Amino acid sequence: MSNSETIVHDVIVVGAGLAGTWAALVCGRRGVKDVGVISKVHPLRSHSGAAQGGIAAALSNVRAVAGTGPRGPLEAVPPGSEPADSWESHMFDTIKGSDWLGDQDSIEIMVKDAIDIVYEYEHMGCVFSRLTDGRIAQRRFGGHSAPRANYAADWTGHVLLHTIHEQALRHGVKFYSEWYAKGLIVEDGICRGIVAMDILTGELHTLRAKAVLFGTGGYGRAYEITSNAHANTGDGVAIAYEAGVPLMDMEFVQFHPTGLYKHGILMSEACRGEGGYLLNSRGERFMRQYASDKMELAPRDLVSRSEQTEINQGRGIGPDGKGIHLDLRHLGRERILERLPQVRDLSIDFVGVDPIDGLVPIQPTAHYSMGGIPTDKDGQVIMDASGTPLVGFFSAGECACVSVHGANRLGTNSLLDASVFGRRAGEAMAQRVLDGARLEPVSGDPTEGHRREIQNMLERGGDESAETIAGELKATMTENCGIFRNAQGLKKALKAVRALQVRFKDARVMDKSRRFNTDLLGALETRHLLTFSEVIIAGALAREESRGAHWRTDFPQRDDQNWLKHTLAVKRADGEGPKLSFKSVFIDWQRYPPQVRKY
Amino acid sequence: MASPVRSKSMATVRVKRFNPDSDAKPYMQEFQVPNLQGTTLLDALHRIKHEQDGSLTFRRSCRHAICGSCAMNVNGRNILVCKTPLQGQLDRKGVVTIKPLPYLPIIKDLVVDRSTFWNEYLRVKPWLVPPATSPEREFRMSPEEVAALHNAETCIMCGACYSACQVVALNKKYIGPHALLKSFLRVLDPRDTIPGERLAEVGTDEGVFRCHTIFNCIDACPKNLNPTQAIETLRRLAQKRTAFEAARVERQRTIAGPLAAEPTPGAEGGVRHVP
Repeated sequence: MSNSETIVHDVIVVGAGLAGTWAALVCGRRGVKDVGVISKVHPLRSHSGAAQGGIAAALSNVRAVAGTGPRGPLEAVPPGSEPADSWESHMFDTIKGSDWLGDQDSIEIMVKDAIDIVYEYEHMGCVFSRLTDGRIAQRRFGGHSAPRANYAADWTGHVLLHTIHEQALRHGVKFYSEWYAKGLIVEDGICRGIVAMDILTGELHTLRAKAVLFGTGGYGRAYEITSNAHANTGDGVAIAYEAGVPLMDMEFVQFHPTGLYKHGILMSEACRGEGGYLLNSRGERFMRQYASDKMELAPRDLVSRSEQTEINQGRGIGPDGKGIHLDLRHLGRERILERLPQVRDLSIDFVGVDPIDGLVPIQPTAHYSMGGIPTDKDGQVIMDASGTPLVGFFSAGECACVSVHGANRLGTNSLLDASVFGRRAGEAMAQRVLDGARLEPVSGDPTEGHRREIQNMLERGGDESAETIAGELKATMTENCGIFRNAQGLKKALKAVRALQVRFKDARVMDKSRRFNTDLLGALETRHLLTFSEVIIAGALAREESRGAHWRTDFPQRDDQNWLKHTLAVKRADGEGPKLSFKSVFIDWQRYPPQVRKY
Repeated sequence: MASPVRSKSMATVRVKRFNPDSDAKPYMQEFQVPNLQGTTLLDALHRIKHEQDGSLTFRRSCRHAICGSCAMNVNGRNILVCKTPLQGQLDRKGVVTIKPLPYLPIIKDLVVDRSTFWNEYLRVKPWLVPPATSPEREFRMSPEEVAALHNAETCIMCGACYSACQVVALNKKYIGPHALLKSFLRVLDPRDTIPGERLAEVGTDEGVFRCHTIFNCIDACPKNLNPTQAIETLRRLAQKRTAFEAARVERQRTIAGPLAAEPTPGAEGGVRHVP
C-alpha cells in the first residue's frame, strides 16, 4: 500500500446522515468553501433515511379535540386561536422521557430550535404531509403530551436525508462516498485530522483539517435483534474511545417496542401514534396494567419492558412465545394506506401479514443509543466532567451525547437532535475556521500504524471468522445486557466480551484483495463492536439503579441520591477495560426538579 | 467449490464473480445454502460470505428497502435482494442466479460503478431552489400538491430502473429515469422557482424526448414508482413551458399564506398523502 495521499480540507465530516450533512451544509453556507464529507456508504444510504414517524416540534398546527383524552381524535388548530403546544411542554416531556438524566440546558436549546429547523427543512424542499389549509401535518407520539410529530407519511427520515443532501451538494460540499474512517489524529490535545480508507482501492489516506466532526450514527448492531442497518457498528464511538476520548452514558440503549418479529425491522411508533394497539397472546391490551393513562403511547423504555414482561410471563405470541401482536385493523384501510404505507409494505414483505386485516407479529428491537461521545451544546467534544475541550474535534447526532435524551429518548427527538446539534456544530466549526484556525501540522505518517494493523489482519491464519465472534457478542449482549439486566449476567457478559476480544486477535479475513474488501471492513467493524460493547457493559454493571432504558432487576428503583449523574468511560492506558468517572446532570431545580415518572 | 448434490432443503445460488485486479473475465460460481423459511436473498448472500467465501462482495445496509444499496439482477430482473424471499426466486431445480446490475461497470462481484447514474442525478440539479425570501412559518402546500409528488419523493436511488433501461444501455448521454423522476419532483413542487430552467434541461433529446416508453423502469422499481408517467408529465409541461412558469409565479404569490380551504373540524385538517 504505497500510494497514500494526504488530503487537506478546512473541515472534515465523518458520516453523511442528518447530523454530519447539516454540519457540512452550514459550513458551506457560512462561506467555508472547502468542506469534505466521508461516508462508508453512499451518503443517501445513511441510516437517518430509515427513520419513519416524524420530527418533533411544537408548531401548534394540530391539537387534541377538547375533552377526548390522550388517545382521542385530533383537529387542525383554527387560525387565530391560542397556540395548542409550546416548547415548554416539549421540554418537560423530553425531561420526563429522559428520566431526568437529560441536561436541561441542552434540551431547552433543542426544543426551541426545533420549530425553526422544521420550517427550515420545509423551506429547503422537504415534502411534509399537509393539512387542507397547507400547514404541516402533525401526529401523536409516545411520551409527548401534544401531537407534535411533524411527518411525511411514514418516510420522514428519507425525505429529510434526501433534502439535506441535495442542499449540501448545492452549496459545494465535497462527498467522499465509500470511504471508511480508520483513526483520529490527535497530538498535544488538538485534533488534526483523520486516517481513512478509500474502500474502492483499499488505500489508506491522511486527511487533515482545522475541524473534524463525527456524525457516525448508532450501534444497534451489537445486538441480535435490531432495527439498525448493517452499517450501524459504532465505528465513530470506538475510534474516539481508542483515541482517548471518553464515552458518556453508554449503558443506555433503547429497545423499540415494535420491531418485526425475528427481523427487528422497524414498524414505526406512528403505528401507535395513529391509534394502534398492542395485544398479548390472550388478545389483551396489556399496556393497561403498565401505563393506565398513556397506554400504548407511553415512552419506549416502558412499553418495551412491558412487552418483555408479558413475554417472560408466558403471554407472548409466535412459535417461541417471544412476540407480541400489533393491531392496526381498526384504523381502517384508508388511514393505513395514507399514513403508514411503508410499514404496511414491510409487514407484507417480511412477515407476510397485511396490517389492514391481520395482526402484525412484533418484538422489542435494539434501536437507539442514548450515550456516545460527550459534547457541549455546540458539538465541541469534551474530555472530562469539567468540559475541557478536545480542540478541533466535534460530534453530533446519535454517536454524540449532548445529552438531550438522558436515560431514554422520546420518539421523533432523534431526527431533531441530529438536525439541531448538527447545525449548531456546523456553526461552531465554521466560526473556528473563519476566526483563522491554523491547519495544525501532523508528525510522521499517521497511516503507518493502521497499515500495519490491516496487513496483520490480512495475513494472520486463524480459522475463526470475525463474523463468528460478532455473532457470539450479539448473543451475549442480547441475553445479558438487554432490556432487563442484573449483576450476575453483566459480569458474565464482561468476561465473555474480553474473551472475544482475545479471540479476535486471531480472527481470519478470507478476502486478501485490496479492492472493495468488505470482508476486511466487516472485521474492522467487529473490532469496534467489541470495543464499545465492553463500555456498555461496564457502565451497566456500575450503575446500580434502574433509570429509563437501563433496568436492573437487582436494583429496580431509580436512585437520585447516588445516580443522578452521567457516566464517563475512558480507556485505561494499559488497555485493561474502561475507567469510569461521573459528570453532573444540568438540572433547573426551580422549574424541572426530578419527579416520580409515571404515564 | 459447488456441491453437485441438490436437495429441497438446500438452494443453489449462482453468483457472477469478478475482481478486475485478478480475474481475466467474469465467471459464474455456485454455492449451496439452506433454504429456510423466511430467508431473503440478502440472508443467502450473507450466509455464503460468512460461512463459505468471505471474498464474495456486495453492497447492503438497511436491509428493509429504504437505503437503496442492494439492487441486483436476479434471474434477469433488477430487484432489491434485501426484501426478496429466496424461495420465490428458485427455479424447479432450486437454483437462483444473481448478477450485478447490467450495463454498469463492475467494481467487484455484485458491486457496480454507479458514477454515470450519480452524474445524471447532479445534472438535473436535484435540490429545490426556493423563493429568495422565506416566510416565518411554512410555505403552504395543499394535500393535493403533496400527493402529486408522491410518485417521486419515495425514490431511494437504488439504480434498478436506470440499469433496466434500454435507452440508457444504448445511449450514455440519456439522463435516465431516476434523474428525470427527481426533476419531476422539483418541477411539480410549488415551492421551486426554476421549473422553466429545469424543463429546458430535461426537455431535450437527451432527456424526456429520448424515452421510448418501454416501461422497463416501472417493472424494475422496487418502490412501485412510475418514472414513465413522470417523464410523460415532463414532456407535456416542456411543451408549454412558458405558461407553466407563469402559473408557478402566480402560485408563489400566495404560497406563504393560508390556502382557501379551511380545515375541516374534527378531521385532523383532512391530511391526505396518497393520491
